Amino acid sequence: MIPPLRRKVLRDLRRLWAQVLAIALVLAAGVATLILGNGAYASLHETRARYYEENRFADIFADVTRAPRALLGEVRDIKGVLEAEARIVRLGLLDIEGMKEPGSVLFVSLPGDETGLNQLFLMEGRLPDPQSAREIVISDGFTTAHGLGPGDTLPVVMNGRQRQLLVTGVALSPEFIYALGPGQMMPDPRRFGVVWAPRAALEAAFDLEGAFSNLVLKLAPGTDPDLVIEALDRLTAPYGGTGAAPRKDQISHAFLDAELKQLSAMVKVLPPIFLLVAAMLVNMTLSRLITLEREQIGLLKAIGYSSRAVAQHYIEFVLLIATIGILIGMAAGTWLGAGLAQMYARFFSFPYLVFLRDPQIYGLAAVITVGAAVGGAIQAVRTVVRLPPAVAMAPPAPASYRQRIGWVRRLVQLRQTGVMVARHLFRWPLRTASSTLGVAMSVAILVASLWSFGSINFMIDVTFFRTERHDAQIVFGVPEPQRALFAVRQMPGVVVAEPFRQVAARISHRNLSKKLAITGHPAGAGLSRVLDTALRPMDLPDSGLILSEALADALQVRPGDLVTVEMLEGRRPILTLPVSGISLGYVGLGAAMDIGALNRLMDEGPLISGVNLMIDGSQDAAFYAAAKAAPKTETITVTALMLERFQQTLAENITVMITVYVVLAAIIAVGVVYNFSRIALSEQGRELASLRVLGFTNREVSGVLFGELATIVLLAQPLGWLIGYGIGLAMVAAFSSDLYRVPFVIEREVYAIASLVVLAAALVSALAIRGRINNLDMIEVLKTRE
Amino acid sequence: MEGPADIVFRASGLTKVYRNGALEVHALRGIDFQARTGEFIVILGPSGSGKSTFLNIVGGLDRATSGEAWFEEHQLTALTERGLTQYRRDHVGFVFQFYNLVPSLTARENVQLVTEIARHPMPADEALALVGLSDRADHFPAQLSGGEQQRVAIARAIAKNPQVLLCDEPTGALDSATGIKVLEALTQVNRAVGATTLVITHNAAIRDIADRVIRFADGRIVEEIVNATRKAPSEVSW
Ligand SMILES: Nc1ncnc2c1ncn2[C@@H]1O[C@H](COP(=O)(O)OP(=O)(O)OP(=O)(O)O)[C@@H](O)[C@H]1O
Ligand SMILES: [Mg+2]
Repeated sequence: MIPPLRRKVLRDLRRLWAQVLAIALVLAAGVATLILGNGAYASLHETRARYYEENRFADIFADVTRAPRALLGEVRDIKGVLEAEARIVRLGLLDIEGMKEPGSVLFVSLPGDETGLNQLFLMEGRLPDPQSAREIVISDGFTTAHGLGPGDTLPVVMNGRQRQLLVTGVALSPEFIYALGPGQMMPDPRRFGVVWAPRAALEAAFDLEGAFSNLVLKLAPGTDPDLVIEALDRLTAPYGGTGAAPRKDQISHAFLDAELKQLSAMVKVLPPIFLLVAAMLVNMTLSRLITLEREQIGLLKAIGYSSRAVAQHYIEFVLLIATIGILIGMAAGTWLGAGLAQMYARFFSFPYLVFLRDPQIYGLAAVITVGAAVGGAIQAVRTVVRLPPAVAMAPPAPASYRQRIGWVRRLVQLRQTGVMVARHLFRWPLRTASSTLGVAMSVAILVASLWSFGSINFMIDVTFFRTERHDAQIVFGVPEPQRALFAVRQMPGVVVAEPFRQVAARISHRNLSKKLAITGHPAGAGLSRVLDTALRPMDLPDSGLILSEALADALQVRPGDLVTVEMLEGRRPILTLPVSGISLGYVGLGAAMDIGALNRLMDEGPLISGVNLMIDGSQDAAFYAAAKAAPKTETITVTALMLERFQQTLAENITVMITVYVVLAAIIAVGVVYNFSRIALSEQGRELASLRVLGFTNREVSGVLFGELATIVLLAQPLGWLIGYGIGLAMVAAFSSDLYRVPFVIEREVYAIASLVVLAAALVSALAIRGRINNLDMIEVLKTRE
Repeated sequence: MEGPADIVFRASGLTKVYRNGALEVHALRGIDFQARTGEFIVILGPSGSGKSTFLNIVGGLDRATSGEAWFEEHQLTALTERGLTQYRRDHVGFVFQFYNLVPSLTARENVQLVTEIARHPMPADEALALVGLSDRADHFPAQLSGGEQQRVAIARAIAKNPQVLLCDEPTGALDSATGIKVLEALTQVNRAVGATTLVITHNAAIRDIADRVIRFADGRIVEEIVNATRKAPSEVSW
């Protein structure tokens, strides 16, 4: 036989099913957030580690213009170098018929053999015959974007010559997980692909017989990469080396890292807040729910149940609710986490996905949830159990409603029911405050989930519409003299053409240093501008550098400070330059100079690295064709396409993630408001029924309860905005990396949406309990005490 | 006079003061009281005279402000929280002025709530039969009339075969026929188990079934009448 108390647990669960479900869902949302984010993050992290390991991803990467193969021996002799491979890595242009917009491919020589570095993961077909001059393997995303496969030919421009290459296989590489084309901000597999070819074929195509253009190194465990890089840079400097990059600066790895960091910020900042909010709300809700059972607790004690037994009964009750919540949350979290990890894995071109579930996270979620629920129960039971049963069984002592609300009454002409509302709110200030806080937290987590859209919009606006305002950009293979600019101006469709110069450099301040490209802009440039932090165009000084905020922070410099600049091209001058200003910039690290000043420092004459262009939209096809055909062109980027890709990618990743969070936050909001309304109804049911007995209409009686709810919900809005702002501020710090700097912008819509969701939740709750108010049992009131 | 072994309850100088801020209510102003084993005592008195307060203290539901109360060798006024719980669980059956049933349990389950933890309980159905509710055992409190709810409460009180039965206006909501049934159940338990029974009532007619009648007024016992003979409940005119 089931003991009667246990039966009471089950019956109460069923009686309160709607509330139980709401509480369980709030808990589930908290648990799911924690699990889904962590699951996705841990899986991606582990997948990357496994992939790097199995495919022997290199530790150090270095580009040179052209170095003899003999140099490889010296590189291998550097202390700590386990393996070194000389490769040929060169850019080429896509020449696919019917593809109007420009695209590029990166040619990479195939790794030596099974022991080579950056091994390919062959998805389809076979590797090229080492002797073949035509056979290639191409990257998977690119293959899909163009509907290519083994047996197809790929038309490209290599070293200025048109070629038809033969695809024998499709592969992935740990080097191009985040396959970012030159000048692009987001991977775009349609306009950028990787082509692996036998080294002999590439040597011939790029006139690099007996030479190489790129080095990859694997280090012995425990080796300091900086020491190796120092030695390596000395060796490669004479051959046009622009400085080796450790793995952490390798483009694919760095972007992947930044993305994972962002994911981890979403995972580490928001979910614990969700879970804590859910826990806090459940704690409050259960404690009030149990306080309602005061008379029954008194009765159980009166007939001889010990305080322990009573407490145990209620703990069982909340444990069941918590268990339901945890189970739903874990199932949903696991499922969503797997989906999310898959989405990211697809985006990142991982060959496989290692699902990782951290039992500790599951345990933590369960412990916090159970702790909060049981804590709420114990707290409530304890206050009641402490009362003598005779007192507990009687309703709570009538509140001493003193004339504390006199001023409210004077302020607004309240009717008697209005006075009731005001008295309630003031009589239990703690309860009013905690309810307000609870609703405010619902608003806050919505704000915290939604804010990043504003930041992204702002980033897009600043980057694409205020700073980089050109329609297209041509980058030359090597710096060209001024007449290259005139050649570009002759191309069809060119309305405005502004040159720029870019030089790889290492900028240091004290013991901090960063490698980046210094860009020289012509005075008064309108297509690529340097803006100050107030979004005003900046004048470029005759000498001196303008650093982006992110770079200034990374180097800890302020305007007026001196920095050491080591140019990594040409004659490699080392200079000391003043920082003359700080500019705004959200993507990457940036340093800007006047183009004339930069060229003077380089002492190579007036060279340009590329041209920013404004294009007549009706002639873009003709322009692309001409630009592609120009022998000096290495890459062409199209701003509109980049922006489109940027937004698409964000839509895919962040939007999905945020949508999940918003839905979970909304569930929490609805659960909380509904429970608060139900509990308020239970607490005041008798009073309201008495009003009905006295002849008040349903409307008037509902008005009392809804007035109280409305006051709390309205009070909670500004508080929720404030808390949400705080959470957002904490998140934005975790979001930033060298690659992205996320501005903290919350659009007014965010507050509006958050409030609307919560207000809608309140409205739905009000409607849901309206029926209950209409069915208040007047007889019950007359039948028993008071 | 009877020897002390015969005395179940003893109280002396019992007072109870409720403080509500600056306001003090003297609910009991010094009660001296004794009850013998098996005695059936009816307590009368105007509303607010302290009857319920007294019963609650004797039943271990509340604490006195001063004075002593003894049950057999237990000094109730000195017992800890745990001791009071044990006392109620082992010795006392309550019938409250308001039925105080658990709404989510059926009539039978409400009785089982007590038989579950009692030392020598009678079967729950037997207790329900005693109050004439065998056919309503599976109904929830909300499906029962006020009087029926009260009878469930009585079944719950007697189901543990208590040594003491404390009833606060048990017949207040009942018609005379059911009232008699309830009183018969009470007297039967009183006789069969020898449970000392204290019944608070506003129905002065019930006094005739008692061994002794105590009258409260303003927190004091103002009158005590010993009946030479007890009437059967059925002989009482309502
Ligand atoms: N919690 C309390 N706080 C303050 N005063 C109380 C409290 N409980 C009871 N009283 C007061 O103590 C006095 C005795 O109350 P008690 O309930 O014992 O009366 P009663 O004789 O049982 O009355 P009734 O016949 O109406 O049930 C009353 O004046 C009552 O107002
Ligand atoms: Mg009373």
